[in-house]
Amino acid sequence: MIENLGFIVAAYVLVWGGIAVYLISLRRRRANAGSTRN
Amino acid sequence: MIETTAAPFPTIRVRPWLGRLAIAGSLIATFMALVWAPTDAVQGDVYRIIYVHVPLAWLAYLAFFVVFLASLGWLWTKRAWFDALAVASAEVGVLFTGMFIVAGSIWAKPTWGVWWTWDPRLVTTAVMFMMYVGYLLLRSLSTDFARRATRAAVLGVIAVIDIPIVHLSVLWMNSLHQLPTVLRAGGSPALDASMGMTLGICVIAFTLVYFAFLAERMSIELERQRRMFEARA
Repeated sequence: MIENLGFIVAAYVLVWGGIAVYLISLRRRRANAGSTRN
Repeated sequence: MIETTAAPFPTIRVRPWLGRLAIAGSLIATFMALVWAPTDAVQGDVYRIIYVHVPLAWLAYLAFFVVFLASLGWLWTKRAWFDALAVASAEVGVLFTGMFIVAGSIWAKPTWGVWWTWDPRLVTTAVMFMMYVGYLLLRSLSTDFARRATRAAVLGVIAVIDIPIVHLSVLWMNSLHQLPTVLRAGGSPALDASMGMTLGICVIAFTLVYFAFLAERMSIELERQRRMFEARA
Protein backbone atom coordinates (compact mmCIF):
# COMPACT_ATOMS: atom_id res chain seq x y z
CA MET A 1 0.00 0.00 0.00
CA ILE A 2 1.47 3.32 -1.06
CA GLU A 3 1.54 5.79 1.79
CA ASN A 4 -0.09 9.19 1.18
CA LEU A 5 -1.38 8.03 -2.20
CA GLY A 6 -4.29 10.46 -2.01
CA PHE A 7 -1.93 13.45 -1.76
CA ILE A 8 0.16 12.25 -4.71
CA VAL A 9 -2.90 11.63 -6.88
CA ALA A 10 -4.43 14.98 -5.87
CA ALA A 11 -1.26 16.88 -6.84
CA TYR A 12 -0.90 15.17 -10.23
CA VAL A 13 -4.61 15.44 -11.08
CA LEU A 14 -4.53 19.12 -10.15
CA VAL A 15 -1.47 19.87 -12.30
CA TRP A 16 -2.39 17.86 -15.39
CA GLY A 17 -6.05 18.79 -14.99
CA GLY A 18 -5.08 22.46 -14.86
CA ILE A 19 -2.96 22.07 -17.98
CA ALA A 20 -5.82 20.31 -19.78
CA VAL A 21 -8.33 23.01 -18.81
CA TYR A 22 -5.96 25.76 -20.02
CA LEU A 23 -5.44 23.87 -23.29
CA ILE A 24 -9.24 23.69 -23.79
CA SER A 25 -9.47 27.40 -23.00
CA LEU A 26 -6.83 28.18 -25.64
CA ARG A 27 -8.63 26.05 -28.21
CA ARG A 28 -11.89 27.89 -27.53
CA ARG A 29 -10.18 31.27 -27.82
CA ARG A 30 -8.57 30.14 -31.07
CA ALA A 31 -11.97 29.06 -32.40
CA ASN A 32 -13.39 32.48 -31.48
CA ALA A 33 -10.44 34.32 -33.02
CA GLY A 34 -10.56 32.29 -36.24
CA SER A 35 -7.98 29.78 -37.36
CA THR A 36 -4.51 31.17 -38.18
CA ARG A 37 -2.66 27.89 -38.34
CA ASN A 38 0.33 27.84 -40.65
CA MET B 1 4.42 54.95 -33.66
CA ILE B 2 3.45 51.33 -33.01
CA GLU B 3 5.28 48.79 -35.16
CA THR B 4 2.86 46.04 -36.20
CA THR B 5 4.63 44.56 -39.20
CA ALA B 6 7.08 42.35 -37.34
CA ALA B 7 7.62 38.87 -38.71
CA PRO B 8 5.54 36.17 -36.99
CA PHE B 9 7.03 34.46 -33.96
CA PRO B 10 9.17 31.65 -35.47
CA THR B 11 7.81 28.98 -33.08
CA ILE B 12 4.31 29.51 -34.46
CA ARG B 13 5.37 27.47 -37.50
CA VAL B 14 6.49 24.59 -35.29
CA ARG B 15 3.44 24.82 -33.01
CA PRO B 16 1.93 21.43 -33.95
CA TRP B 17 5.29 19.72 -33.38
CA LEU B 18 5.76 21.48 -30.07
CA GLY B 19 2.36 20.20 -28.93
CA ARG B 20 3.17 16.60 -29.90
CA LEU B 21 6.59 16.77 -28.25
CA ALA B 22 5.02 18.24 -25.10
CA ILE B 23 2.47 15.41 -24.91
CA ALA B 24 5.13 12.72 -25.47
CA GLY B 25 7.49 14.34 -22.97
CA SER B 26 4.73 14.66 -20.39
CA LEU B 27 3.79 10.97 -20.68
CA ILE B 28 7.42 9.86 -20.29
CA ALA B 29 8.00 12.29 -17.41
CA THR B 30 4.85 11.18 -15.56
CA PHE B 31 5.80 7.51 -15.94
CA MET B 32 9.31 8.18 -14.61
CA ALA B 33 7.99 10.33 -11.74
CA LEU B 34 5.32 7.90 -10.55
CA VAL B 35 6.84 4.51 -11.42
CA TRP B 36 10.52 4.59 -12.39
CA ALA B 37 11.99 6.90 -9.73
CA PRO B 38 12.84 5.19 -6.43
CA THR B 39 10.97 5.84 -3.19
CA ASP B 40 12.59 8.42 -0.91
CA ALA B 41 14.15 6.97 2.25
CA VAL B 42 12.79 9.76 4.48
CA GLN B 43 9.53 11.00 2.94
CA GLY B 44 8.40 7.81 1.24
CA ASP B 45 6.39 8.18 -1.99
CA VAL B 46 4.85 11.55 -1.23
CA TYR B 47 8.13 13.19 -2.28
CA ARG B 48 7.07 12.39 -5.89
CA ILE B 49 5.17 15.67 -5.85
CA ILE B 50 8.61 17.28 -6.32
CA TYR B 51 8.49 16.18 -9.97
CA VAL B 52 5.63 18.56 -10.71
CA HIS B 53 6.27 21.19 -8.02
CA VAL B 54 9.89 22.06 -8.86
CA PRO B 55 9.61 22.13 -12.70
CA LEU B 56 6.51 24.34 -12.48
CA ALA B 57 8.36 26.70 -10.13
CA TRP B 58 11.36 26.98 -12.48
CA LEU B 59 9.12 27.46 -15.51
CA ALA B 60 7.21 30.19 -13.66
CA TYR B 61 10.54 31.97 -13.07
CA LEU B 62 11.35 31.59 -16.78
CA ALA B 63 7.90 32.81 -17.83
CA PHE B 64 8.16 35.95 -15.72
CA PHE B 65 11.72 36.60 -16.90
CA VAL B 66 10.40 36.40 -20.48
CA VAL B 67 7.73 38.96 -19.47
CA PHE B 68 10.58 41.19 -18.26
CA LEU B 69 12.53 40.87 -21.53
CA ALA B 70 9.41 41.35 -23.66
CA SER B 71 8.43 44.41 -21.59
CA LEU B 72 11.85 45.93 -22.22
CA GLY B 73 11.40 45.07 -25.91
CA TRP B 74 8.06 46.92 -26.05
CA LEU B 75 9.38 49.96 -24.18
CA TRP B 76 12.45 50.09 -26.43
CA THR B 77 10.93 49.41 -29.87
CA LYS B 78 7.12 49.84 -29.50
CA ARG B 79 6.64 46.67 -31.54
CA ALA B 80 3.27 45.08 -30.74
CA TRP B 81 4.89 41.66 -31.11
CA PHE B 82 6.67 42.16 -27.78
CA ASP B 83 3.41 42.99 -26.03
CA ALA B 84 1.89 39.75 -27.36
CA LEU B 85 4.90 37.82 -26.06
CA ALA B 86 4.64 39.50 -22.65
CA VAL B 87 0.94 38.81 -22.12
CA ALA B 88 1.26 35.22 -23.37
CA SER B 89 4.17 34.46 -21.03
CA ALA B 90 2.51 36.22 -18.07
CA GLU B 91 -0.65 34.18 -18.48
CA VAL B 92 1.22 30.86 -18.63
CA GLY B 93 3.41 31.98 -15.71
CA VAL B 94 0.36 32.75 -13.57
CA LEU B 95 -1.12 29.34 -14.43
CA PHE B 96 2.12 27.55 -13.49
CA THR B 97 2.57 29.61 -10.30
CA GLY B 98 -0.98 28.89 -9.16
CA MET B 99 -0.48 25.18 -9.80
CA PHE B 100 2.88 24.94 -8.04
CA ILE B 101 1.52 26.80 -5.01
CA VAL B 102 -1.41 24.38 -4.70
CA ALA B 103 0.81 21.32 -5.42
CA GLY B 104 3.22 22.59 -2.75
CA SER B 105 0.33 22.98 -0.33
CA ILE B 106 -0.75 19.38 -0.99
CA TRP B 107 2.85 18.27 -0.35
CA ALA B 108 3.08 20.39 2.81
CA LYS B 109 0.15 18.72 4.56
CA PRO B 110 1.68 15.22 4.96
CA THR B 111 5.25 16.53 5.49
CA TRP B 112 4.79 19.71 7.57
CA GLY B 113 1.35 18.91 8.99
CA VAL B 114 -0.24 22.09 7.59
CA TRP B 115 -1.65 23.18 4.23
CA TRP B 116 -0.17 26.68 4.57
CA THR B 117 2.21 28.52 6.86
CA TRP B 118 3.52 32.09 6.81
CA ASP B 119 6.94 30.96 5.66
CA PRO B 120 9.17 33.42 3.70
CA ARG B 121 9.24 31.22 0.57
CA LEU B 122 5.47 30.74 0.59
CA VAL B 123 4.73 34.40 1.26
CA THR B 124 7.13 35.74 -1.41
CA THR B 125 5.69 33.23 -3.90
CA ALA B 126 2.14 34.35 -3.06
CA VAL B 127 3.25 37.96 -3.57
CA MET B 128 4.75 37.02 -6.96
CA PHE B 129 1.49 35.32 -7.94
CA MET B 130 -0.58 38.37 -6.94
CA MET B 131 1.78 40.74 -8.78
CA TYR B 132 1.33 38.90 -12.08
CA VAL B 133 -2.43 38.47 -11.56
CA GLY B 134 -2.35 42.25 -11.09
CA TYR B 135 -0.33 42.53 -14.32
CA LEU B 136 -3.09 40.70 -16.22
CA LEU B 137 -5.82 42.78 -14.54
CA LEU B 138 -3.94 46.00 -15.31
CA ARG B 139 -4.18 45.18 -18.99
CA SER B 140 -7.97 45.36 -18.83
CA LEU B 141 -8.02 48.90 -17.40
CA SER B 142 -7.40 50.74 -20.65
CA THR B 143 -8.80 50.30 -24.16
CA ASP B 144 -5.94 52.30 -25.67
CA PHE B 145 -3.48 49.71 -26.94
CA ALA B 146 -0.25 51.70 -26.55
CA ARG B 147 -1.16 53.01 -23.09
CA ARG B 148 -2.16 49.55 -21.89
CA ALA B 149 0.99 47.94 -23.27
CA THR B 150 3.23 50.61 -21.73
CA ARG B 151 1.61 50.41 -18.29
CA ALA B 152 1.84 46.61 -18.35
CA ALA B 153 5.47 46.75 -19.52
CA VAL B 154 6.46 49.03 -16.64
CA LEU B 155 4.92 46.58 -14.18
CA GLY B 156 6.55 43.67 -16.05
CA VAL B 157 9.96 45.29 -15.58
CA ILE B 158 9.39 46.09 -11.89
CA ALA B 159 7.79 42.77 -10.91
CA VAL B 160 10.78 40.68 -12.04
CA ILE B 161 12.60 41.74 -8.87
CA ASP B 162 10.48 39.22 -6.95
CA ILE B 163 12.02 36.21 -8.75
CA PRO B 164 15.43 36.30 -6.96
CA ILE B 165 13.65 37.24 -3.73
CA VAL B 166 11.48 34.09 -3.99
CA HIS B 167 14.44 31.86 -4.86
CA LEU B 168 16.82 33.23 -2.22
CA SER B 169 14.26 33.77 0.56
CA VAL B 170 15.10 30.35 2.03
CA LEU B 171 18.75 31.43 2.37
CA TRP B 172 18.09 34.97 3.61
CA MET B 173 15.51 34.09 6.28
CA ASN B 174 14.70 31.24 8.65
CA SER B 175 12.41 29.04 6.63
CA LEU B 176 10.45 25.83 7.07
CA HIS B 177 10.80 25.26 3.33
CA GLN B 178 13.79 23.14 2.37
CA LEU B 179 16.92 24.80 0.99
CA PRO B 180 17.62 24.64 -2.78
CA THR B 181 18.15 20.98 -3.73
CA VAL B 182 19.51 21.31 -7.26
CA LEU B 183 20.53 24.95 -7.89
CA ARG B 184 22.83 25.15 -4.86
CA ALA B 185 25.68 27.65 -4.61
CA GLY B 186 29.03 25.85 -4.52
CA GLY B 187 27.69 22.31 -4.34
CA SER B 188 26.41 19.41 -6.41
CA PRO B 189 22.69 18.59 -6.34
CA ALA B 190 21.58 16.97 -3.05
CA LEU B 191 19.63 14.36 -4.97
CA ASP B 192 20.10 10.71 -5.93
CA ALA B 193 21.23 10.30 -9.57
CA SER B 194 18.04 8.53 -10.71
CA MET B 195 15.89 11.11 -8.93
CA GLY B 196 17.95 13.88 -10.52
CA MET B 197 17.51 12.34 -13.95
CA THR B 198 13.74 12.04 -13.45
CA LEU B 199 13.61 15.66 -12.33
CA GLY B 200 15.61 16.66 -15.42
CA ILE B 201 13.16 14.84 -17.74
CA CYS B 202 10.23 16.47 -15.94
CA VAL B 203 11.83 19.91 -16.39
CA ILE B 204 12.27 19.23 -20.13
CA ALA B 205 8.64 18.05 -20.40
CA PHE B 206 7.24 21.11 -18.63
CA THR B 207 9.53 23.36 -20.71
CA LEU B 208 7.97 21.88 -23.86
CA VAL B 209 4.49 22.46 -22.37
CA TYR B 210 5.47 26.07 -21.60
CA PHE B 211 6.71 26.77 -25.12
CA ALA B 212 3.70 25.02 -26.69
CA PHE B 213 1.33 27.15 -24.61
CA LEU B 214 3.39 30.28 -25.26
CA ALA B 215 3.29 29.79 -29.03
CA GLU B 216 -0.44 29.04 -29.03
CA ARG B 217 -1.37 31.94 -26.74
CA MET B 218 0.89 34.33 -28.63
CA SER B 219 -0.63 33.31 -31.93
CA ILE B 220 -4.11 34.10 -30.56
CA GLU B 221 -2.88 37.47 -29.27
CA LEU B 222 -1.25 38.39 -32.59
CA GLU B 223 -4.48 37.53 -34.40
CA ARG B 224 -6.42 39.70 -31.93
CA GLN B 225 -3.95 42.56 -32.51
CA ARG B 226 -4.23 42.18 -36.29
CA ARG B 227 -8.04 42.45 -36.13
CA MET B 228 -7.80 45.43 -33.79
CA PHE B 229 -5.39 47.34 -36.06
CA GLU B 230 -7.45 46.45 -39.15
CA ALA B 231 -10.60 47.74 -37.48
CA ARG B 232 -8.87 51.02 -36.70
CA ALA B 233 -7.42 51.44 -40.19
